[in-house]
Amino acid sequence: MTAYIARRLFATLPVMAVVAVFVFFLLRLAPGDPAAIIAGEDATAESIAAVRAKLGLDRPVLEQFVIWLARLVQGDFGVSIFSNLPVTRLMAQRVEPTVALTLSTLLIAVCMAIPIGVVAAWKVRTFVDRAVMIFAVMGFAMPVFLVAYVLIYIFAVQLNWLPVQGYRPIAEGLWPFVEGLILPSVALGITYMALIARITRASMLEVLSQDYIRTANSKGLATQRVLLLHALKNAAVPIVTVIGIGIALLISGVVITETVFNIPGLGRLTVDAVLKRDYPIVQGLILVFAAVKVLINLVIDISYAFLDPRIRY
Amino acid sequence: MVAIPQDTAAPLPRPGRFGTFVRRNPTIFFGGLLLILLVAAALAAPWLTADPFRLSPVNRLRPPSERWWFGTDQFGRDVFARTIHGARVSLLVGLLVAVASAFIGLALGLVCGYFKRVDGIVMRVMDGLMAIPSILLAIALITLTRPGLAIVITAIVIPEVPRVVRVVRSIVLSIRAQPYVESAIAGGTRGARLLTRHILPNTLAPLIVQGTYVCASAMLIEAGLSFLGAGVPPEVPSWGNIIAQGRSFFQIAPWTILIPGAFLALTVLAVNLLGDGLRDRLDPRLARRM
Amino acid sequence: MNVLEVRDLATHFFTLDGVVRAVDGVSFRLARGETLGIVGESGCGKSVTALSILRLIPPETGRVVGGSVLLEGQDLVKLPESDMRAIRGHRISMIFQEPMTSLNPVLTIGTQIAENVVRHTGVSWSAALDRAREMLELVKIADPRRRLQEYPHQLSGGMRQRTMIAIALSCNPQVLIADEPTTALDVTIQAQILDLMLELKEKLGTAIIMITHDLGVIAETAQRVVVMYAGRKVEEASVDQLFAQPAHPYTRGLMRAIPRLDAEAEVAGRRPRLQEIPGIVPALNQPIAGCAFAPRCPFATGRCRAERPPLIETAAGHSVACWETARVLEAAA
Repeated sequence: MTAYIARRLFATLPVMAVVAVFVFFLLRLAPGDPAAIIAGEDATAESIAAVRAKLGLDRPVLEQFVIWLARLVQGDFGVSIFSNLPVTRLMAQRVEPTVALTLSTLLIAVCMAIPIGVVAAWKVRTFVDRAVMIFAVMGFAMPVFLVAYVLIYIFAVQLNWLPVQGYRPIAEGLWPFVEGLILPSVALGITYMALIARITRASMLEVLSQDYIRTANSKGLATQRVLLLHALKNAAVPIVTVIGIGIALLISGVVITETVFNIPGLGRLTVDAVLKRDYPIVQGLILVFAAVKVLINLVIDISYAFLDPRIRY
Repeated sequence: MVAIPQDTAAPLPRPGRFGTFVRRNPTIFFGGLLLILLVAAALAAPWLTADPFRLSPVNRLRPPSERWWFGTDQFGRDVFARTIHGARVSLLVGLLVAVASAFIGLALGLVCGYFKRVDGIVMRVMDGLMAIPSILLAIALITLTRPGLAIVITAIVIPEVPRVVRVVRSIVLSIRAQPYVESAIAGGTRGARLLTRHILPNTLAPLIVQGTYVCASAMLIEAGLSFLGAGVPPEVPSWGNIIAQGRSFFQIAPWTILIPGAFLALTVLAVNLLGDGLRDRLDPRLARRM
Repeated sequence: MNVLEVRDLATHFFTLDGVVRAVDGVSFRLARGETLGIVGESGCGKSVTALSILRLIPPETGRVVGGSVLLEGQDLVKLPESDMRAIRGHRISMIFQEPMTSLNPVLTIGTQIAENVVRHTGVSWSAALDRAREMLELVKIADPRRRLQEYPHQLSGGMRQRTMIAIALSCNPQVLIADEPTTALDVTIQAQILDLMLELKEKLGTAIIMITHDLGVIAETAQRVVVMYAGRKVEEASVDQLFAQPAHPYTRGLMRAIPRLDAEAEVAGRRPRLQEIPGIVPALNQPIAGCAFAPRCPFATGRCRAERPPLIETAAGHSVACWETARVLEAAA
C-alpha cells in the first residue's frame, strides 16, 4: 500500500510538470507583447521595459525557465507586479476563507446529494425520483451566479435571515462565521450536488439490479440495511470518483462565488489579479489549484482500495 | 408435424411517427425545441427587439412592464433587447467552441490512438491541461491578451480539448482491439481504409454527444468570464456582461441579473437535454455509465 | 401436512409491449420434508414462481395479480411487507442460480451469513458469527474461521454456492427454494452440491423446491415433479410416474432432449440423436387461446389451438393438461 501511494505520488510529477511548463510558456508565447498588455493601455516604453525586466522576459527563454523552475521548487512563486509582495504571502493571507468555503460546500453537497440520489434510485420512476432528476438536470445547468443571486434575493434581501455578502473569520465567533458561509456554500454546491445526486442515482440503480441485492432481499433484511450497506457500498466507487471530478467544478465556482459574496479568498485574489493583469499571481494560483486537484484525485484513487476489497495494489 | 406459423399477433396501434419520436425521446424533443426557439430569437434579434445600446437616462432601472418587458438597466437600456442580443453571443461561443474542440480533439485523439510513440506525450500534456480548472486556464490566457471574442473562444477551447481527446482515443483503441478489425488489419486493410470504414463512423456519435456537453460548458464558462470582467469586451451585450453590470444595482433592480441568468440557465439546460437524449439514443454504452 | 401450498398463482409483468403473463394460474403443494421439482425450459415461469412465493418480484416491473401462497395456512400474498420480511431467510429461504454474482462482493462471508442470523434470531453479532462458522462447517468449507474474514472473490464457484446454502439454512427454514442451484457450476461440483443439499435436507428436515431445466437433477433429488410450460403447470406426477409414463407431449419432448447412455442405446449400436423440441416458447404478452404448447406439438389438433385443456388426473397423484393424452400414451406404448 505504501509502495503504491509512493508510486502514485511520483506519477503526479509529470502532470505537475506539464502544468508548470504550460503556465511558463503561456506568458512567453502569448500573442502580442504580454509585457505591454500587462503594463496597461497607456504605458510608456519605460514602464513596459520595467514589467519585462520584472517578469524576466528580457533574458533567453531557456535561462528564464531554469531560474523560474529552480525558484518554484523552493516554493518561490515570484512577486506580484503591483504590490511587489511575494505571491506565496498574498496567497497565504487568502487561504482561510477559500478552504472554509470549499469544505463547507463539499460537506453540504455530499450530505445532501447522496441521500437524495439513494432515495431516487430506491423509489425509481416515482414522483420523488422524477423530482430528484429534474433537480439534477436543472441544477447542472445553473450558472453559479444565478443561484447565488436568487438565494441572496430570497434569504438576504426579502427575508433578511442571512447576510447579503461578506466573510467573517472563524476567530470572530462560530455563528457569524457559519452565517456568512451558508448562502455561498449552497450557491456553489448546487451544481456539484446535482452531479453527485445524478451519479449516486445511476450507480445505485445499476447496483440495485444486481443478483446480490436480490439475495439480500431474500434474507428479509431491513430496507435501510439493503440500501445503505449492501447497495451503497457497491455503488461507492463511481460516486467517490465524481466527487473528485467535481472538485474542479468547485474550484472554478469558487472564483465566481467569492466575487458575488465578496469573500476575500483565493478566488477573489484571482479576479483582482486578472483585472490588474498581475500574471505572477495568476500563475501561482493555477499551480496551487492544479496541485490541489491532482492530490485530491490521488486520495480518491487510494480510497478505492478501502471501498472495494477486490481492488488490491 | 410442423410448427404452425404464429401469425396471431394483432398489429400494434400506430401513433404518428412524430408522436412516437417524442414519446421515446422526450429530452431530444424538448431540448431541441427550446434550442430552436432560442436560436430563432437570437437570429431575429434585430427585428424582434429595440436597440440594445440605446441609452435613456430618464428611464433608468424601470421594473419589467408592458413597455420594457424585462425592465431597464442603470443606463435605461432595454434589458429585453440586451438579453435577446446576448443569446447571440452565448450561442455563438457555445457552437464555435464545440466545433473547434471536436475537430482538434478528433485529430489529436486519432493521432494518439494510432501512434503509440506520440500517445504517451500527448496524453501527459492532456492530463496536465485537465489538472487546471478550466476557468482559471481561460483566465490565465485572457490576462495576457487583449479582450476579444476570438481570445475568449480560444481560452475556452484549450481546456475542453482534453475531454474530447480522451473519448476519441479510447474509441480508437477499443475499435483497434476488436477481433474483426484485427482480422481486417491482418487481411491487409490499410490505415486510411480502416479510418474511414471502421473508426470514423464509430467516433461520430460520441463526438456529437461530447460536443453538446462542451457547448453547454462553454456557455457557462463564457458567462462566468464575462461576469468576472475577463470575458468579451464590456460593451458587448453578453449575458455575463449584462449580469456583471447589474451587480451594483442588484438589490433595487434584480431583473437585470435574474432574467439574463435565467436565459443562460435555460439555454444550457436545452443543450444538456439534447445531449442526454442524443447520448441515450446514439451511444448506449456511454449512457449506461451515467 | 403441507408446509406450503400455492393456489392459482398468477404473476404478471407490465411492459411497454403489454402485459406478460409469466405465471398464469399455477398450483402445487409441498409436504414437510419433501423435495418438489419444478421443471421447464427457460422462460416458462419457474423462476418467477419462486420469486413470487417470496414476493421478490421488483414491484416496478410486475406483481402477483392473483392466487395465494399458504405457508402453514397463512397467506403470504396478503401479508404486510414487514411481516413478509420476517419470513424471508427465516422460514423460507432461497438460493440462486449464479453463485458468482449472488453474494455481495464488498461484504465478508461472515457478515453475509451472520446478518441473516441476527436479523431473524436477534442474537448478538458474535453469537451470529459463531453460528456462521458452524454453518460453514456444515456445508463442508475447510478452514471456516479464516473464510469468515474473506470476500466472495476469494472463493471458488462451488464454495460460493456452499456459502449461499449456509446463508439459506442458517435459520433452519421450513422451505428452501433452490433456483437452478447447480446450473452455473462444473459437472463434478454439481454432484457435490446436490449431495450436500440432500444430506442437509435429511439432517434439518427442510422441504425443498428444486427449480431446474435439467430432468437429471430432478431424477436425483425430487420426489414429485411439476412440469411448467408458458406460465402454466402442464403435468404433475411423482418422479417415478413421470419417468415411467410421461403423459404430456412437452414432458416427452424434454425427456428426448436428455442425452442417454443406457443399455438400450448400446444394443441398438448407436447413440440416439439428442432431439430438440421444434419451435420456441410462445410470447406471453398476448393471451393464448388454447394449449400453449400446441404450435410445437406433434399431436396438436384444432381443439388444442382453440380450447385450453384442463388439468386431469390420469392416475393417483398424476395429472396432466392435454386433450390428446390417450393418443400420446398410445404412441409411447
